[in-house]
Amino acid sequence: MKLIRRLHWVDWVILALVVLFFGYVWMQISDTLNYKWRWHLIPNYILGWHTRREEWFANLLLQGLGTTIRICLYASILSLVFGVILGLARTSRNLTVQLLARTYVEFLRNIPPVVVIFIFFFFLSVPMIEFLGLERWARGIARSENAYIWEFFFGNMRLFPQLVAGTVVLALFESAFVGEIIRAGIQSVEKGQREAARSIGMTYWQEMRYIVLPQAMKKVVPPLANQFISLIKDSSIVSLISVQELTFKTLELVASTRMIFEAWLTCAAFYFIICFGLSRLFARLEK
Amino acid sequence: MTLTRRALGLALAAAMSLGGAGHALAQSTTQSLSGESVIESIKREGVLKVGISMFRPWTMRDVNGDLIGFEIDVAQKLADDMGVDVEWTPTAWDGIIPALVAGQFDVIISGMSIRPSRNLTVNFSEPYAYSGATVLANRAMTEGFTLEDFNSPDVTFAARRGATTVETIMSVFPEAQIVQFDDEGAPVQEVLNGNVHATMSSEPLPSTEARRYPETLYVPFDYAFEASGEAFAMRKGDPDAINFFNNWISLHTRNGWLKERHDYWFRGEEWADQVPE
Repeated sequence: MKLIRRLHWVDWVILALVVLFFGYVWMQISDTLNYKWRWHLIPNYILGWHTRREEWFANLLLQGLGTTIRICLYASILSLVFGVILGLARTSRNLTVQLLARTYVEFLRNIPPVVVIFIFFFFLSVPMIEFLGLERWARGIARSENAYIWEFFFGNMRLFPQLVAGTVVLALFESAFVGEIIRAGIQSVEKGQREAARSIGMTYWQEMRYIVLPQAMKKVVPPLANQFISLIKDSSIVSLISVQELTFKTLELVASTRMIFEAWLTCAAFYFIICFGLSRLFARLEK
Repeated sequence: MTLTRRALGLALAAAMSLGGAGHALAQSTTQSLSGESVIESIKREGVLKVGISMFRPWTMRDVNGDLIGFEIDVAQKLADDMGVDVEWTPTAWDGIIPALVAGQFDVIISGMSIRPSRNLTVNFSEPYAYSGATVLANRAMTEGFTLEDFNSPDVTFAARRGATTVETIMSVFPEAQIVQFDDEGAPVQEVLNGNVHATMSSEPLPSTEARRYPETLYVPFDYAFEASGEAFAMRKGDPDAINFFNNWISLHTRNGWLKERHDYWFRGEEWADQVPE
């Protein structure tokens, strides 16, 4: 209400022009676009009524959303761990450690994400999953009686290796950026603080633990929150390595039913709701 | 004399041991070949891992989000005959061959047609289905076009990236332009919008789309281009797997099961209400 009263008549004119403009664009599109809209089919692919089991269930799009949320949650935790290690290494006094961390970060920052994802997937995740025998282990759980606890956390256990691959790849990719944020945080702590810590006889680890990191953490929370939101958007790339997240499920839906625009618009709406919701939430928490 | 005899004896012994070793080597090679076959690992794990990519009506998601389609029937039957479970790995079409080579699954059963270029990287079984590609064109833009008219730099085709139709378009219409998309839906939509003249895809997609949009779309030629055989794809260096899959396919070709399933998915429309289009 307050917002409406604050609007000047000029604002109303501008608003009307914007509406007119989009209306015109829309008319142009619908003229040239030969497309039969079938929005009524979309709700069933979010929350569906199973025709054989006769019950409500999470259909393709909601399943994909679930996987996206899982991957993002685990990848952000993992990338925070890697990122802190990287950040510490970047500010380390040991030159070798510093250079190694620098190399890693520069590599990841200067290669397109799609390429990074493919390289990490084929050269890192696949051999790692094979080495650990994750596939057999996950299949054992999928076949066992109480798979549902695992499925709550990891979705369909038969697709567990893909979930792990996607999570690891995404975490490794994002850790470079998280690492830079942490480094900036550590370097923003005044030199005098560190010298003081040193002069009262603290070791390096004590200095980090009690003096530097607590101050750095306070500074890095807002940029980390941003990074987390961009991780959610980046997670759509792992559809390329066939992780069954929202983008991949949307592709499947498009290939099966040919509802190109409905499916992609719904997918976009899901991403927007999550990312925008989170950014509002973080903004509120910062206050 | 004794020296030469001893030397001869030594030489003989050496030759025999060598021969023996050669024999043993051949035997262990055979054993290790069959031991490493994907057939053995399928039996050991009790599961057949199949790589698929969505392509109506080969593989698709029904209203319940479950997988249905011709390939799903084929792979399910194959796994039943082997006495193992089947596990699907839906994969992006672009990356399906690298994923097979990297060991993500045992076999690709996804309407993949045999192409020499693909065959350099993977092995193929005998074909279990034959489908031809037809042209789906925009009526207003190409009315009255002959085959030669399509072969012109002014004509643009849309196709699915990595699909065999791309190669077919290049060989049948070498002069035409091609734009490529990631899935099967976008090329059809481009033809509908009049942004490209035509697309090529394997049947029944062109006929189905032409029936849905009769004012805009049509199939200009009633014959198929380069009818290609679809086959199982597997990693190279595995003769046991090829042998098993080939015999499985020829058995089910002879008893008519493959034809019956193929007709159900490609000729009939009984399943249409399970996948709204």
